[in-house]
Amino acid sequence: MNGNTILKVNHIDVFHGSFQALWDVSLSVNEGEITAIIGANGSGKSTLMETISGLLHPSAGTIEFEGKDISGLQPFEILDLGISLLPEGGRIFPDLSVLENLKIGSYNPKARSEYTRNLQRVYQLFPVLEVMRARLAKSLSGGEKQMLALGRSLMSNPKLMLLDEMSLGLAPILVNDLYKALREIRARGITILFVEQNVRRSLVEADSAYIMETGRIVLSGHVDDLREEAKVQKAYFGT
Amino acid sequence: MKTAMIKSQKGFLLLITVGVVLALFPVIGAPRLWLLYLFIFFIYLSLANMWNLLAGYSGLISLCPAAFIGLAGYTMTLLTWVGCPYYIGMILGSLAAAFFALIISFPVFRMKGIYFAIGTLVVPEILRYVFIMWVPVGRPLYGGGGGYPIKGVSQVSPALTYWLALAIALISTLLMRFILRSKLGTGLAAIRDNDITAACSGVNVFKLKLVSFVIAAFISGIAGAVFYVYQGYIEPSSAFSIQWLVIIMLATVIGGEGTEEGPILGTLVVVFLYFSLASYAEISLIIQGIILVIIMLLAPQGIIGFLRKIRN
Amino acid sequence: MSILMDLATPIVMGILLGGLYSLIALGLSLIFGVVKEINIAHGDLVILGSYFGFVGLTFAGIDPMLSLICGLPVFFGIGYGIQRYLLNRAFRISMDATLIIAFGISIILQNTYQLIWTPLSRGLTTSYSVESFSAGPIYVPLVYLLDLIVAIVVMIFLREFLKRTYMGVAIRAAAQDWKAAQLMGIDTNRIYAYTFGIATAIAAIAGVFLGLTFPFTPLSGMSFLIIALGVVILGGMGSIAGTLVAGIAFGLAQTIGGYFFGVSAQMLVAYTMVLVVLAIIPRGIFGR
Repeated sequence: MNGNTILKVNHIDVFHGSFQALWDVSLSVNEGEITAIIGANGSGKSTLMETISGLLHPSAGTIEFEGKDISGLQPFEILDLGISLLPEGGRIFPDLSVLENLKIGSYNPKARSEYTRNLQRVYQLFPVLEVMRARLAKSLSGGEKQMLALGRSLMSNPKLMLLDEMSLGLAPILVNDLYKALREIRARGITILFVEQNVRRSLVEADSAYIMETGRIVLSGHVDDLREEAKVQKAYFGT
Repeated sequence: MKTAMIKSQKGFLLLITVGVVLALFPVIGAPRLWLLYLFIFFIYLSLANMWNLLAGYSGLISLCPAAFIGLAGYTMTLLTWVGCPYYIGMILGSLAAAFFALIISFPVFRMKGIYFAIGTLVVPEILRYVFIMWVPVGRPLYGGGGGYPIKGVSQVSPALTYWLALAIALISTLLMRFILRSKLGTGLAAIRDNDITAACSGVNVFKLKLVSFVIAAFISGIAGAVFYVYQGYIEPSSAFSIQWLVIIMLATVIGGEGTEEGPILGTLVVVFLYFSLASYAEISLIIQGIILVIIMLLAPQGIIGFLRKIRN
Repeated sequence: MSILMDLATPIVMGILLGGLYSLIALGLSLIFGVVKEINIAHGDLVILGSYFGFVGLTFAGIDPMLSLICGLPVFFGIGYGIQRYLLNRAFRISMDATLIIAFGISIILQNTYQLIWTPLSRGLTTSYSVESFSAGPIYVPLVYLLDLIVAIVVMIFLREFLKRTYMGVAIRAAAQDWKAAQLMGIDTNRIYAYTFGIATAIAAIAGVFLGLTFPFTPLSGMSFLIIALGVVILGGMGSIAGTLVAGIAFGLAQTIGGYFFGVSAQMLVAYTMVLVVLAIIPRGIFGR
């Protein structure tokens, strides 16, 4: 928790075809912290996540991870550097077993050598995954699928985890469990950047936050400062 | 709007002028070789225009032009054997091709996208087997099973076949111009972009595709029939051969799929290649394949598309 | 009763032939299931395998099955190259582009075969390729049995590979969700190329056994492609078991059709079945 900037997004523009989704977006994530990106649907949060992880590329601006420019890299190269994205909906592989899903999480050669150790730690975090390791992933419940997605992400030994709407569509109890797991993950030294629609929840769990609206960052800062603003934003977001 | 109309009129006049000039060639004593080159050019142009109509404008990558060509050719041939004059046989043959297209459209249009392409791939093969096995008149002559000379065409002058081919080429080109500027054309453009969106906008997707398919079958049929009048005989393996598709696809792709001028330019290139490499039979075909791959990789929009890109 | 006895041989032949068809279709199914491409050059790649065996046999007297041992890596390389350098790029251009480029490759292959080996029909004749065996009223060429056995062996190998190796699981993952696979650190371009390589290697095996079973010409690829397409679609994309079952279905259709309608109608029956399958079953029996 030494406050170094591990990820820096500098003034990026991102297009979907001819439609501009992100406008001059900048942010920085400090090592060891939990940072939240808050915004309603269509605010560009997912686009931002996909761009950082390499599925999309900015047409202007740069993205630096640990000082290195990653804006032109392919997703597998970015994973190799230590960034893992848990995409919206989790996107676990439905016709692979739970164990196979976790196994494929450590596909990267560096992660592969630590496979057994990482697997044990994932099972520690989510014991239910060990119980169901032979089940086909598609037969899992929504909450279990997200746990699997989290576990799978962890298997790649990430330094930075990106989470796109991890709690979407899940019951509050499950959401609590997931955030509890998130805190444990942070305790292991992994930096977390998550995207959320729920303002209140985000400000509780995160250290700093960015608020996005139609492709731009409109507000940012330490959560304590933002909480004051949140009262003003309540009308905006209605949550 | 007005410039578009003027341009279209200019284009139309240009076509007519060129057509008239070309029509005079046999009269003014142009060399027979030229007439032959042009004849082949006209036939392939008509076929390329129709393939363009389907693949470039209707979103239907049809791999079965040979089916229409062969079917029209065979219908005409068999009719000449029962006493029908060839020119009537031509019309009936093309109608048969169009009718065939109508019938198979029902199963084949149910196949979406890539499945449609596969379905159309199978059709000429099936017809080939049918015509190898079915020998309704005379006896098997050429290549064992199903090959026939065409009766009553040996007296037809090369000039006449030349003019017929020229007529078809002109008709097909003008037809394309007309269609693209009509409601059918707008509907097709919508379908090409996205089937489902078009359907939601009220376009009767099935009907429009069917119309294009049948028109293409008819014109391809006539072109094929004229070709066989010239050649004087027909046999299954070459009538339904994939070779037709290769040349047509190559011509359209080189020139530029989805453009009006593309097939013209592309057919010029292909016919030129065809004749300059004629003495190197197999190699010329290999070269055609290589060109197809290279063009698709480097200039998928064809020459016309490439030029347009540069101009912009 | 006697018709049942008469049918016994076509039925057994159909099942065994189905083994060959499913082997031919296996590579195609793999590509279809993983890369979501229909490789219409597949038939010609199978025939390349046949010619490969032919060359080994006629020039060096090597049994075709043995020549596969050095042939497999070569074919893997060819397939890898085609996907990596041609089709991957085509993919980025458009779906139609992949179809057209695959078609171009098919034309190049077919005409290269014509150039090198002439349109004459060839076959791989070995000591065992002309043997037959009989069991009761059934009289069957030995190669047919060999075809089915090899098909099943290859399928078992493939299934184990896909289950037990990292690469295999990665291939299955990429087939299910290409985006998520990328996020797992899988270089999907490389994986597609490996898949195509594997599919081509399997095609080589199929080609050798095809050559042992039937005579072939430079243009045979098309006929077998069409049947393979029918098998893939009937069996469900990417399903190994489905490919076997569908292959047998087509084999049976052909032999039984031939029994009732005559030998020359065999292919017609098979092709018509392909059309029917295409029109009715866009998703297949076992497919997702």
